[in-house]
Amino acid sequence: MEGVWVVLLAFLTCGYFALAGFDYGVGVLLRLVGRDERSRRAVLRAVTPFFLGNEVWLVAAVGVLFGAFPRLEGELLSSQHTVFAVLLSGLVCFTVAVQLRSPGWDFLLVGGAVVVAVGWGVLLGRVLGGPVWLWGAGMVVLFSLHGAVFLAWRLSGELRERASRIAGLLVLPGAGFVVAAVVTAGSVPVPAFGVTAVVALGLLGGVWVALRAGRHRVAFGCSALLCALPVVGVFGARSVVTVSVMADVSTLRVLTWAAVVVVPLVLVFQWATWRMSRAAR
Amino acid sequence: MDALGLARLQFATTTSFHFLFVLLTLGLVTSVAVMQTRATLSADPVHARMTRFWGRLYVVNYALGIATGIVMEFQFGLNWSGLSTFAGDVFGAPLALETLVAFFLESTFLGLWIFGWDRLNKWAHLALIWLVALTAFASAFWIMVANAFLQNPAGHELRDGVLRMVDFSALLANPTFGTAFLHVCFASLTVGGVFLTGVSAYHFIRRTTEVDFFRRSLRLGVVLTALATPMLIGFGFGQFPIVERHQPEKFDTVGGLDGAGLGFMIQIGFVLLLVSWATVPLLFRDWVVRLRFPLYLMVLGIPLPFVAAIGGWLFREIGRQPWLVQGVLTTRDAMSHVSADQMLVSFIAFTAVFAVLAVADWVLIARLARRGPVSSDEAPVSPLVPAL
Repeated sequence: MEGVWVVLLAFLTCGYFALAGFDYGVGVLLRLVGRDERSRRAVLRAVTPFFLGNEVWLVAAVGVLFGAFPRLEGELLSSQHTVFAVLLSGLVCFTVAVQLRSPGWDFLLVGGAVVVAVGWGVLLGRVLGGPVWLWGAGMVVLFSLHGAVFLAWRLSGELRERASRIAGLLVLPGAGFVVAAVVTAGSVPVPAFGVTAVVALGLLGGVWVALRAGRHRVAFGCSALLCALPVVGVFGARSVVTVSVMADVSTLRVLTWAAVVVVPLVLVFQWATWRMSRAAR
Repeated sequence: MDALGLARLQFATTTSFHFLFVLLTLGLVTSVAVMQTRATLSADPVHARMTRFWGRLYVVNYALGIATGIVMEFQFGLNWSGLSTFAGDVFGAPLALETLVAFFLESTFLGLWIFGWDRLNKWAHLALIWLVALTAFASAFWIMVANAFLQNPAGHELRDGVLRMVDFSALLANPTFGTAFLHVCFASLTVGGVFLTGVSAYHFIRRTTEVDFFRRSLRLGVVLTALATPMLIGFGFGQFPIVERHQPEKFDTVGGLDGAGLGFMIQIGFVLLLVSWATVPLLFRDWVVRLRFPLYLMVLGIPLPFVAAIGGWLFREIGRQPWLVQGVLTTRDAMSHVSADQMLVSFIAFTAVFAVLAVADWVLIARLARRGPVSSDEAPVSPLVPAL
């Protein structure tokens, strides 16, 4: 029973990084890919069908964290109080600026996206014991790469080319971040981290090759996995998740029926959104 | 102010903001679902146009609802880690169910509803808005289950120094849950009804040419308010004996803030009941529009149910102090080990961000409401809504 919930929490968190990751990446790159108001609208229109569905993975993950891992939730959040406060302020600005878009608000949109990416990087750096500045910058690079790949896939013409070019430029800094993260890793067991890093480099290579071959969906798959990889690292490399922080079996049993019904439903409906947007193009 | 005072103030501020948006969300989504049902069944295009106009206002309002909701959710762990550590096994369960069963599904359905406009089969699209409405009320259901546990803890035992769940059904059977939940549901329908009425009345004051459109909207609003307010008041007073039995000190310790909240809520509730029922006969032959002066009252009435809702919420929450979980965990013991400086930084950050964005959101809603049902080709307000 406990194992199921660790896997579910990992799955929801990975889903959040892989999906919302391109939201933030697109946010960071909004003014770089979209040079005028028309093209900025095109950029945002590529994201908005998925926006609500992407962001809500975070809500689900934190809900599971609270319900099934109550003693981890309080400990983790309150020990990183200021980082979360800044991250959430950025997240709120970003979410609202995307949904109620007005050209004058772009500083909130771009700034919010940067703050969120840096915030997650700082948190990952603290949990994994690396330098926070490196992780902050690294997550901005990974999310931006993911966003650029997404735009290269969903847009066309000049905008697609520009997004592809930006994605190509970000592959090398991404690889630099992965190598530096391993070298500067603190208390984390090296073998597990080494394997994760090799996979990450492989995925970066995959993005590069797939983009050059025009296989955008493959490239998107690679960058999505790449964004989720640090989360896998947290769950794999550190024993942060133990039975003692988890809720009692009596609580988990109640939550299980809900998860069994809801998670497949969400997957089906979000898949339907992706299917439909492809059909509409 | 010390860290505890700041943490409480922060919770009250974020919850109040969240509550304002959530009430209108619940009220509007129900109205929009009714409009879309009529649009699907009838050949008259006015219903589809109404769904589009009011649906757009609903979506813009939802944007702030989800943003404030995310902060609400994190706040438990950030500022009240003692609550999750000690009572998380029991209190966390309904909260987790809310995020999974309600929030997660609601946003997914809503995303598909917005994006599926003119793309989906009309029956599938209609089913989606009802699913959004259903999951939205499910959200309120689980939040009230969690809140009822704080008022009157049930279904738990103390083991290994923390609360463990022994009987989940006792959480649902909690006497401080059912009546309060229904009270909140009818409060949200009242908010929706008053909003529809007020915005429609504004357009009649401006002598709109969309007479049929706003006549139907106004009627729906008045009827919704008239039907919801008796239930609202009934389930409100129905809670008095329950509070008397389980939390008698709430009445004994009633102070300036929660006392005023209770008083305002009751007065506003009765005013809305009387005015809405007095308006029903005036709907005949559009007397309410021809008389004109009721229209001004309707516009002025828009903020009233919001004020009442905040008042009622203050009464429910302040009277429980110094307990966070009544008789089990004090608010002071539940607080995270966070310094007053950190608390001040986050309080200022969240309050400033919410205040700015909420005002911007209300300005946008007001502008859209004022503009009326113009064709959607011109100036899409948001990339989330161009499909509308």
